[in-house]
Amino acid sequence: MHPENEKYIELSAADFPRKCAEYSRRHFLRTMFAADERELDGYFRVYAVFSPMGEDRFDILTMKLREDALAYGSITPLVPAAHWYEREMRDMFGIIPEGHPDPRPLCLHGIYGDVYPLRRDVTTDDIKKSVDFSREDGYFFMRVKGEGVYEIPVGPVHAGIIEPGHFRFSAVGETIYHLDPRLFFTHKGTEKLFESRGFENGVELAERISGVSSFSHSSAYCMAVERMAGMDISPRAKAVRTLVIELERLYNHIGDIGNMCAGTGFALGYAKGAILKESLMALNARLTGSRYLRGINVIGGVTRDVFDAADDVISTLDGVKTGFKHFMEFLLDSISHIERLEGTGLLSREIALKMGATGPAARASGISDDIRRAHPHLSYGSLIFEAHTYQKGDVYSRMMVRREEAECSFSIIDSLIERRHEGELRMPAGKFPAGGSALGYTEGPRGSVFYWIKASGDGSPLRVKVRSASFCNWPLVSYAIHGNIVPDFPLVNKSFNLSYSGCDL
Amino acid sequence: MLKQIILNLFGKKPALGRDAIRAMSGDVAGEPGASGPARLDAVFKRSIRIRQVDAGSCNACEWECTALGNPIYDVSRFGIDFTASPRHADVILVTGPVSLGMAGALKKTYLAMPEPKIVIACGDCAKDGGVYRGAYGVLDGAAAVVPVDGYIPGCPPNPAEIMKCIMDILESAAK
Repeated sequence: MHPENEKYIELSAADFPRKCAEYSRRHFLRTMFAADERELDGYFRVYAVFSPMGEDRFDILTMKLREDALAYGSITPLVPAAHWYEREMRDMFGIIPEGHPDPRPLCLHGIYGDVYPLRRDVTTDDIKKSVDFSREDGYFFMRVKGEGVYEIPVGPVHAGIIEPGHFRFSAVGETIYHLDPRLFFTHKGTEKLFESRGFENGVELAERISGVSSFSHSSAYCMAVERMAGMDISPRAKAVRTLVIELERLYNHIGDIGNMCAGTGFALGYAKGAILKESLMALNARLTGSRYLRGINVIGGVTRDVFDAADDVISTLDGVKTGFKHFMEFLLDSISHIERLEGTGLLSREIALKMGATGPAARASGISDDIRRAHPHLSYGSLIFEAHTYQKGDVYSRMMVRREEAECSFSIIDSLIERRHEGELRMPAGKFPAGGSALGYTEGPRGSVFYWIKASGDGSPLRVKVRSASFCNWPLVSYAIHGNIVPDFPLVNKSFNLSYSGCDL
Repeated sequence: MLKQIILNLFGKKPALGRDAIRAMSGDVAGEPGASGPARLDAVFKRSIRIRQVDAGSCNACEWECTALGNPIYDVSRFGIDFTASPRHADVILVTGPVSLGMAGALKKTYLAMPEPKIVIACGDCAKDGGVYRGAYGVLDGAAAVVPVDGYIPGCPPNPAEIMKCIMDILESAAK
């Protein structure tokens, strides 16, 4: 019933924490979530998805919880990477991780009343009725006490053209002692909305979860639905998706390297990066009709064959490749810029591993994990490339990982264009099996993107779990910024380039 | 294909010129002295300050607004700039379907602006909720919180479209 590389392991609530701790030693925790499956068998379920390092397999630990006993021993003290997942389940389902070190709500701000939005018997109206804008928000920030410590509150509306979130800095002079971010201002109820849209109409929503990761999100979502329905899309459709994922990585990585220049006040570097990014965005628009690569993914394949425009891809990327090479030489020669990056925003390998870092942020801290290699999907199994790692974990390393990955994307696209890809662009969608479930995943520009979907008894969506890379990486910013000066925060933040919307859902 | 590669290697072609911008959406960015700047002259004496507020957008609209400041679109040549404070703003540009968490902050930002103030809802989400319409955490568009003077359609609208619509909206608001 389940896709080949997914193995479900049923555990009792008593065994669950210990087993998770055991798995976390040699496995990556990919995602953890709950589902209200009372309509199928009368139980809530908690799932923790692990994948063994170096093997294409998902070991999915799961346990049942009865409606009147929604508590279990928190795994966070043993598996720190689970800390946000467990708080999320508490907010959205009312499942209590007993002994979790952080009692604060995560996703739902004080305006929401006493509702658990993702329970199936809670309707959109119930949730809206519970909202009271005048309700006192009981949230408390972590306080640092001592002589000379003061707090700097920032946001949710920021000075720049960026997404909203609140940051509470505890600083001693210029030095940040602690950063307590409060996000989820853009929480929209996306996962619940998926349930009412049906699987096929979910694609356009997945595309709009996080602007610059539109294509990796829609690819992972489509992949989950296709795996559940047992559909094997054609090599041609796979190649199109692979190529477009790499285009998304390119415009993000090159744009991010340029944006880091804004973090150091290096206007010329920023301008050069923006020009390169713009020519990639214009290419996106010519290829897919959307600068953000929307409207090309559908369940069962893709709507366009971007290989028809291979000449345009080659000629544009030739220009960008040369421009990017000169751009990097220019940046690396700019001592005033590079000095600001080196040693700034350090994220140790130990913390990155414990807290479940993903993407360039993890690889810049020496963790060699890339979903394209760990779980070969689309055309990645037939391509030869490496996971690019740096050891130091500073802003400089995160920039250099992006540079190497961008160069790697150029060659992946080249080798995809050299080959012939057979098959239909789009196959008709199969039937969605009642009670079926599957994971979908890919490596987006910010890191791994996971979807887990489950169908209800009539084949409509019962649960769509979205796990963006940003959800994993946001908590890491607090660690990386510790001991840095306040003016370096924008730089460190840009070096992670996290999505608020993709995290807040 | 080979010809293309050779042309690319030796030809000097700008990545994206003004012609390209105009081609994308009619007479948008225009030359100095064309319709755009002339209109702005009449209304705001060639100085418009925009405060952008993300009220739950997916961030695509923000990136397009950011692109307006890059060397290719470079809106500051028309006297348009994005400002860090609502106190300095003539226009508030709202993106996103207005998540419940941002409703209060959006209202406060609007109230902090000096008169006269113009509200522009940018993108399909800010218009009526877009793809997020009906989700429990959104108010289905900016109009639920602030009085909207004009809409910019698109998901996201591209930078040239944003420019054109801002000018059109300002012009009609000045009448």
